[in-house]
Amino acid sequence: MDQLDSSELMHNLAAVLGTERVRIAHGNEAGVAATVVEPENAEQISELVHKCETDGITFAPMGASRTLAQIRSAPVRIGVSLTRMNRIVNYEPDDMTAVAEAGLTLEELNSVAAGRGQRLPCDPAKPELTTLGALVGAAKAGPLRLSEGGPRDLLIGVRFVGHGGRLIHGGGRVVKNVAGYDLMKVLTGSFGTLGIITETTFKLRPFPQNYTLAMASFDSAAEALTAASRAEAAASLIHLEVVSQSLGERFGRTGRSVVLAGFGGSRTEADHYRAFISNALRRNTQMLTANDALAGYASLRDIDFDHAPVVAELAVLPSELPQSLAACNAEFRAHAASGIAQLFLCGGRSEKEIHGAVSRWRDVARAARGYVRVLRVLDHARGGLEMFDQPNEAALGLMRRLKRTFDPHNVFNPGCFVGGI
Amino acid sequence: MATNLQKPFDPRLIPELQEIVGDDGVVSRATELKVYECDGWTIEKSMPDLLVRPRNTAEVSAILQLLHRRNLSFVPRGAGTGLSGGCLPLAAPVMICTSRMNRILAIDLANRRIEVESGVVNLHVTNAVKAQGYFYAPDPSSQVACTIGGNIAENSGGPHTLKYGVTTNHVLGIELVLPDGEIAELGSPVEERCGYDLVGAVVGAEGTSGIVTRATLRLMREPQAHRTLLALFRDVDSATRAVTAIIAAGIIPCALEMMDQLIVHAVEEAFHVGLPQDAGAVLIIEIDGISAAMDEQARYLTELVRGAGATEVRLARDENERAALWKARKRAFGAIGRLAPNYATQDGVVPRTKLPAILREITEISRRYDLRIGNVFHAGDGNIHPIVMYDERDASQVRRAIDAGRDILKACVEMGGSLTGEHGIGVEKMAEMPLIFSPEDLLVMAELRRVFDPGQRSNPNKVIPAPGGCVEIAFPRRQAPL
Repeated sequence: MDQLDSSELMHNLAAVLGTERVRIAHGNEAGVAATVVEPENAEQISELVHKCETDGITFAPMGASRTLAQIRSAPVRIGVSLTRMNRIVNYEPDDMTAVAEAGLTLEELNSVAAGRGQRLPCDPAKPELTTLGALVGAAKAGPLRLSEGGPRDLLIGVRFVGHGGRLIHGGGRVVKNVAGYDLMKVLTGSFGTLGIITETTFKLRPFPQNYTLAMASFDSAAEALTAASRAEAAASLIHLEVVSQSLGERFGRTGRSVVLAGFGGSRTEADHYRAFISNALRRNTQMLTANDALAGYASLRDIDFDHAPVVAELAVLPSELPQSLAACNAEFRAHAASGIAQLFLCGGRSEKEIHGAVSRWRDVARAARGYVRVLRVLDHARGGLEMFDQPNEAALGLMRRLKRTFDPHNVFNPGCFVGGI
Repeated sequence: MATNLQKPFDPRLIPELQEIVGDDGVVSRATELKVYECDGWTIEKSMPDLLVRPRNTAEVSAILQLLHRRNLSFVPRGAGTGLSGGCLPLAAPVMICTSRMNRILAIDLANRRIEVESGVVNLHVTNAVKAQGYFYAPDPSSQVACTIGGNIAENSGGPHTLKYGVTTNHVLGIELVLPDGEIAELGSPVEERCGYDLVGAVVGAEGTSGIVTRATLRLMREPQAHRTLLALFRDVDSATRAVTAIIAAGIIPCALEMMDQLIVHAVEEAFHVGLPQDAGAVLIIEIDGISAAMDEQARYLTELVRGAGATEVRLARDENERAALWKARKRAFGAIGRLAPNYATQDGVVPRTKLPAILREITEISRRYDLRIGNVFHAGDGNIHPIVMYDERDASQVRRAIDAGRDILKACVEMGGSLTGEHGIGVEKMAEMPLIFSPEDLLVMAELRRVFDPGQRSNPNKVIPAPGGCVEIAFPRRQAPL
């Protein structure tokens, strides 16, 4: 079947899944695959996987196709869209756990949980487009990673379709559980290369009370980062972000670097933190509360760098972040206390400039024992650019073995992960 | 009793190992090896043929290369405080103990990281940074003895788990010596991972992926202040309602522990710490945060649990009173000796809202088997520790205690729970794994294990039951305190 053209492939898929569940890719999806299937349950995915393995057809899971379309240099044959698998299977507010199919968006889950004062505290940009499958598969995180951790810390159970079409589950519905190997960790950040996640179980967290967003602006990114580290030492924060000058406008501070520190708690706690943070930032710190704070936070979370010709994520030790950012010579949004920043260039840039910048960022990261992962790059500069840094040889050897074990036919989103996995 | 099933080892192994670790690094006399015949799960015993005590990664690697050449299996061991028979040698002649690898290698307070060898004792990590206002959050009850390597193997928890997370949330990087002797650096001190989360796969793998020799851990900042409350209830039902009310109010205490009447009674009889004998259940609730907010939060909590049916709420007025409350909780198991000659505990987990149902079920099981069962447990995360009391001199009681334990675990699973919250599967609960995992789930887990250990020589015969195999439990569960 791998030699079939698209129409023949679609025809064959329709015979397995039904005509209404097979279509041509549109928009972003084309970067992942030309042909898209929309299964309604794990059993259909199982059947599909089985068939693809038999015929040597490659496939990849898709949510809104924003991540894989960027990572893949060439499409796979079939995109497996999870959009029809978008039910909340079980939400127990008093247990603070939720089971949901992988095609549900983060926003849909959180709009239900919000009714009970809860949320899944993962906050990549555009939660309305982020499916739970993509959240886990790409280990997406945002400002809240500082206080709540990432998907790996919140995922307590998973169901996925593995090789041979096997329906596998790991973990469970309880918040504390050490029975069996931790398949949740193995799948988190695996980018669809080991299995297709069909269902996720998360522990939820309460919304913070009295959420307050402190904003202060500075002439330079270096000053902002120094102030941020004082804020970090002064209080237990929900998030601590620093944006470089080109993003200042987004927060009404055109041309200035901005620190955005979030905190909350009881009224007394919030009052104390307010004083600590004002003191630490040493500027006319603006304190946003209630809806203003939430709007400011959403604006912070949803920075998507759409205008940038290249975006990459730098990860170093938190203490090394200021000097690493200075050496990278790029615009950025930083999760300052976590040592992570999204770097980007502005304006029109040539392929050479883009490759040069990424190469420089990688050198900086390496010197600080950190990593750079390219998140997005314009098509004209895509060729020859490694999206992932390579881990050390021994770790990569294990990763290759893991891939071969979980995907012996090499059909689960092959060829786009670390080391060409 | 379990036996070491592998054929007698080649005596030439001893000098070969001595060459690597020195004469004092190899123990081969049966009288000395007897100490290593079990961990905290004392029901089954099996001595290793040899114990090796390496001092560093290079020695571990050399040992594993040697065992690889000879196709011999091994068991990693930390302090032997595990509760599920995780380091019981089963068809594994060589035990490798990390106790001499106990150096703290680097402390990086600016980034809240600490790098340690795997034989470092859990509490020593906190002790190394306490003066500077930091702590290492996972704090199993055995923390004065248990090692970081053992914690990594078991993904250990502790009373602070509810708020701060278990071991896997605090390990950023590890150095792992694979069963063929290759040394692999997995993860790093940096927050983001490069490639698959192999650290996450190794933490909680119960020593079946090789030997962890070093780890980079996350440190936490010590909160300014604590408040500890004791809430008394007429019955277990109202106490569990209070647990739900606390969590629903958006409060995540740093500890939330429950004792039922039988346990309260036993503790008071034994230690006279001032618990009312007529209380149907008590909750110990601890919160932490900034000093200025603590009294207000304690008042709010008090109102909340009163609303849920608490008949009395006492606030520890100072550190001495706080210590007394924790003494009552921590000594609960010691008090059981007054009630029965033997006892066995379980480590099941249920969704928090199922606590009243599982406790009713345990009462019913107690009645059905005519055995007393007490409850003292981590209520905040639904992790129960029912204590089944029996007399081992009475064969019928022994049988009933085994069956009662199994019924409790089955009930946990039927309520959407799990077999173990923090003690691990080990050899103890392998037979029950099919209650929560399908044959295919178990097959995939076995495949994952073989990624690290293709020959299945690292801690063999643990966690995953052999396909079609059946483990016969001859004795009730463990008897040592938690």
